[in-house]
Amino acid sequence: MVKNIITNDIAKCNQALIGLYNVYDPEIGLNIIDLGLVYELNFDDDTKTVNCEMTLTTQFCPMGEAITGDTTQSLTNSFPEWTINVNLTFEPPWDYTKISPEGNEFLGR
Amino acid sequence: MITPLPSGLQKTTNYKVVLPFYLYASISFIVATALLLVHTNITKAHHFNPHTLAITHILALGWGTMIILGASHQLLPVLVDGKLNSDVLAHLTFIFTAIGIPILVYAFYTFYTGWSMQIGAVFINIGVICYVLNVFSSSFSTPKRNVHAWFIITASIWLFSTVFLGLLLVFNFSYLLLPKDSLSYLSIHAHLGIVGWFLLLVIGVGSRLIPMFLISKYTNDRNLWIVFWLINLGLISFLLIKFFGLNNHAFYFSVASILIAICIFGIHCKRAYAVRIRRNVDEQMKTSLISVAQMLLPIVALIITLCFLPTNKFPNMILLYGFCIFFGWLTAIILGMTFKTLPFIVWNKVYHTKAQNAKTPAPKELFNETVYQFMLYSYLLGFIVFIIGIISLIDVILKIGAIVLFISAMLYVYNTSKVIFHKPQKTI
Repeated sequence: MVKNIITNDIAKCNQALIGLYNVYDPEIGLNIIDLGLVYELNFDDDTKTVNCEMTLTTQFCPMGEAITGDTTQSLTNSFPEWTINVNLTFEPPWDYTKISPEGNEFLGR
Repeated sequence: MITPLPSGLQKTTNYKVVLPFYLYASISFIVATALLLVHTNITKAHHFNPHTLAITHILALGWGTMIILGASHQLLPVLVDGKLNSDVLAHLTFIFTAIGIPILVYAFYTFYTGWSMQIGAVFINIGVICYVLNVFSSSFSTPKRNVHAWFIITASIWLFSTVFLGLLLVFNFSYLLLPKDSLSYLSIHAHLGIVGWFLLLVIGVGSRLIPMFLISKYTNDRNLWIVFWLINLGLISFLLIKFFGLNNHAFYFSVASILIAICIFGIHCKRAYAVRIRRNVDEQMKTSLISVAQMLLPIVALIITLCFLPTNKFPNMILLYGFCIFFGWLTAIILGMTFKTLPFIVWNKVYHTKAQNAKTPAPKELFNETVYQFMLYSYLLGFIVFIIGIISLIDVILKIGAIVLFISAMLYVYNTSKVIFHKPQKTI
């Protein structure tokens, strides 16, 4: 597990995180990793597929398309020859306990 | 290889549908404040006079309704957990209302009750019918409707009732369609719009957006249902009291019902605020929260009106009541929510495919925050000064209040234009 993200490949997960730290929730101004929006990052070397399971702060987030689109683009940049699957889940729903200490500091909590 | 966007996402409404409403509303706001500045003497006239009717309708239709129509097209997916059914109907809504409103307002201004007033009203009715069809088809395309969806569905029905009665009143000037003269139905027409359309929709939308923008997990559907029924009960009881011509004291029931609803909504917002995740609340959210408190002002004015009306001691209280609604909570929530929703719409339009390619500005960076603060303070100052002017009837105070409100409208137009016409930086 890296930064509370379930993964089957820590090295590749860290490689993905470099890009994902630059994907922001535009409303909050905080990156999706410190917000705790990414639940799982799994890598299939045989099929060259990245499976990303993530959530949004609310199911009705009007910026959802932009955030998931940016996530897909970021993973594509990190793994250019790979197939990227970004799956959205609301189970478990996101809550403030998923925010990292750095994120809490940013939010003034 | 990039796969399609994930399932379970709310499909956002096309910005081309929404932006014209915002632009139109901002122009209407500046026109309304300019008219108020030129005609501050309306405070000394009966409320049924051409200039008051013109200013009221440009505020209610051009400003309040147009921006709420735009925002509700954008927010329908958020409210009904589905997507906007028809962009064509949304465009038709804009075209018909955008043409109808200035025709109707000019007819009121010159008080020409003939064909131009009637055509304006017909156009507005067609536009609203398109909107109602879109709300219904969007809401009923999903298997289940939440409380927010019922707020918007019911509000759209009340909006149609308002404009249809307005149409009848306009034709009644020329053809005597109704048993009494048009003035007799004015309070019904006004309250259908104020309570049924504006209050119901603003609370329905606000109850979802305020917690969402505060990043608060607070939700209480039971309380929102109570608010929903209390507002409708208050409005329907008001209509029945007017229909049966009951004593003025019966209105206290309607007022109490709506007052309780507003208080419950206020508590809802307070609880959402208390458990918010984001501690630093931005100016736009502060403005929106101020507007929730401002909801109480018209009620206070109304209760005082009910006390004074029988002896007609202070007829200006009716004007104060209307001013507190249109320039008070309605304008305040629009000022706040415009700069929460509009930057996102434009940001999505300009940057959603470019965000990963380079550093992009945050949505809040699309407008000038300093200008926003000046707009907010000038609005609050103008609002308070004009209220003092209405009560004191001193010309200089009224003019100062109107000038400051006009300045706030100019600042609003500056910032909305800055957002709407935003272009990406060349490095992106």
